[in-house]
Amino acid sequence: MSIELRGIVHQVLIASVSIAIAVVAWAGFAMYFAVPDLVPSPSATAAAAAAMIENGALFWHVVVSLERVLVGYATGCIVGIVIGALMGRIRIFGLFASPLLQLLRPISPVALVPLSIIWFGIGDMSRYFIIFYGVVIIMIMNTAAGVSSTPNIRLNAARCLGAKPQQLFRRVIIPSAVPYILTGMRVALGFAFMGIVAAEMIAAQSGIGYLIMQSRTLLRTDVMFVGLVTLGVLGAIIDGCFKIAIDRTMKRFMEYQVNV
Amino acid sequence: MDRSGPSDDAAAVRQGISSQCGRAVHAAWHDLSLTKVLVTFNAGRPNEYRALDSVDLRVGRGEFYCLLGPSGCGKSTILNLVAGFIQPSGGRVQIGDRAIKEPGTDRVVVFQDVANALFPWLRTDENVAFGLILQGMPKPQALQRARDMLGVVGLREHAQKFPYELSGGMKQRCQIARALVLEPEVLLMDEPFAALDAISKRILQQELLRLWERYRMTVIYITHDVSESILLAQRIGVMRRGPGSSVKEEFAVGLPYPRRPSDGAFSALYARVENSLQEEVGVSLHEH
Repeated sequence: MSIELRGIVHQVLIASVSIAIAVVAWAGFAMYFAVPDLVPSPSATAAAAAAMIENGALFWHVVVSLERVLVGYATGCIVGIVIGALMGRIRIFGLFASPLLQLLRPISPVALVPLSIIWFGIGDMSRYFIIFYGVVIIMIMNTAAGVSSTPNIRLNAARCLGAKPQQLFRRVIIPSAVPYILTGMRVALGFAFMGIVAAEMIAAQSGIGYLIMQSRTLLRTDVMFVGLVTLGVLGAIIDGCFKIAIDRTMKRFMEYQVNV
Repeated sequence: MDRSGPSDDAAAVRQGISSQCGRAVHAAWHDLSLTKVLVTFNAGRPNEYRALDSVDLRVGRGEFYCLLGPSGCGKSTILNLVAGFIQPSGGRVQIGDRAIKEPGTDRVVVFQDVANALFPWLRTDENVAFGLILQGMPKPQALQRARDMLGVVGLREHAQKFPYELSGGMKQRCQIARALVLEPEVLLMDEPFAALDAISKRILQQELLRLWERYRMTVIYITHDVSESILLAQRIGVMRRGPGSSVKEEFAVGLPYPRRPSDGAFSALYARVENSLQEEVGVSLHEH
């Protein structure tokens, strides 16, 4: 068995044990301490999940939510990287934009729900906007930090090797910012998942967030738990895929960070 | 420790370096000159600082020139002027009769801080090919040239590694290769070996002399190590302490290569240069 494979097996083993302990603790708590309607047991949650998987409802909610996360996240990343790069490169723009950014940062996506309904109505556009907003702020900040932190010596080295301003940007400044941008993208992915419930508070008829909100009115805590667990599992799986994708394709940009 | 020395026979290298009479400096190359150069940082502000004042310096094409001085005396400022990173507040910085206005591939810098000077996301050969690719050379051809140059500096087997996989001495070899592959008129070196261990340092000094003998570029080499300057340079310029520094005194070394610190002439010159440097260090010690 290769060292790499052994490492993966090791990680999976640890994760399984840690999840198993949590489930046992949850079962014990539900059985001996809690009111059953308020805290469903793992088996009740599993039964609800099984039913929802069987009739295809869970899959449908997941697909709908993922589509919303993806659209909001992708546009947020693209716009954030462009604005962040401009802030990092054009001094005057960065100077004037960063105080505004500091004012926007504490305003959470949830706080924008009412405004978003007025602006974009109760359709999907509103939901994209809520997720987009959470993502774009993080991406602007990280990209701007990455772009403006290119070491001066590296810039000078490239200049005396003949780099013109445009080549400097494309071949030195952007690659230097890649670790910051990728870190930002990973953090923003988490924020996109956190934003989905807020986004689906807006008159949604489907999606994980809708499922969670809906089960409150029906007092179906078991279904609510299915929604919460799904959100957690989904987020963790996608983050894991993201990390693997970075390791596979962006290794040369990230590796030296650990080794310098 | 740096074990990547090329396989050249040391005796052949020595012979090459000592046969200086027939040296062929590129005919189209020029002398470097600084005339009454003045550099003031933060002019007009409370923290205004005059780094250089009336610096006159002339370095012939193909010459190996060492700038020696106490730390903070403006050695690097002179290098930055010649590189074109900064502009003088007064006076002229010229290569031939052309004023230096911006960086160019005719004057390439080798920095001390290799960790930041090399592009960490590029393999060794890609680092060396960087300048060639910017000039529009097709990538396969540029990489081939880069690998040839890596062979010259003894890094042939390391062409596929990333900078963080190289030792300090190997990184510096890579940086030198990256400069030389552009065939620059002037190689500007800012304390390039100061961060290396003693053995790597000695090996790389010999390597540098071998490369200089081979390519005959002008070298401006900054150091605060008297012994290193006598080991390498044809001429040594000792700088005054700042502020308002300039070149105080020049020494022509005139010893045949390879030079040995144990030679009488070497130590006699060492005493003179050291003395000249000590005057400056001594004055600044007194004031602090």
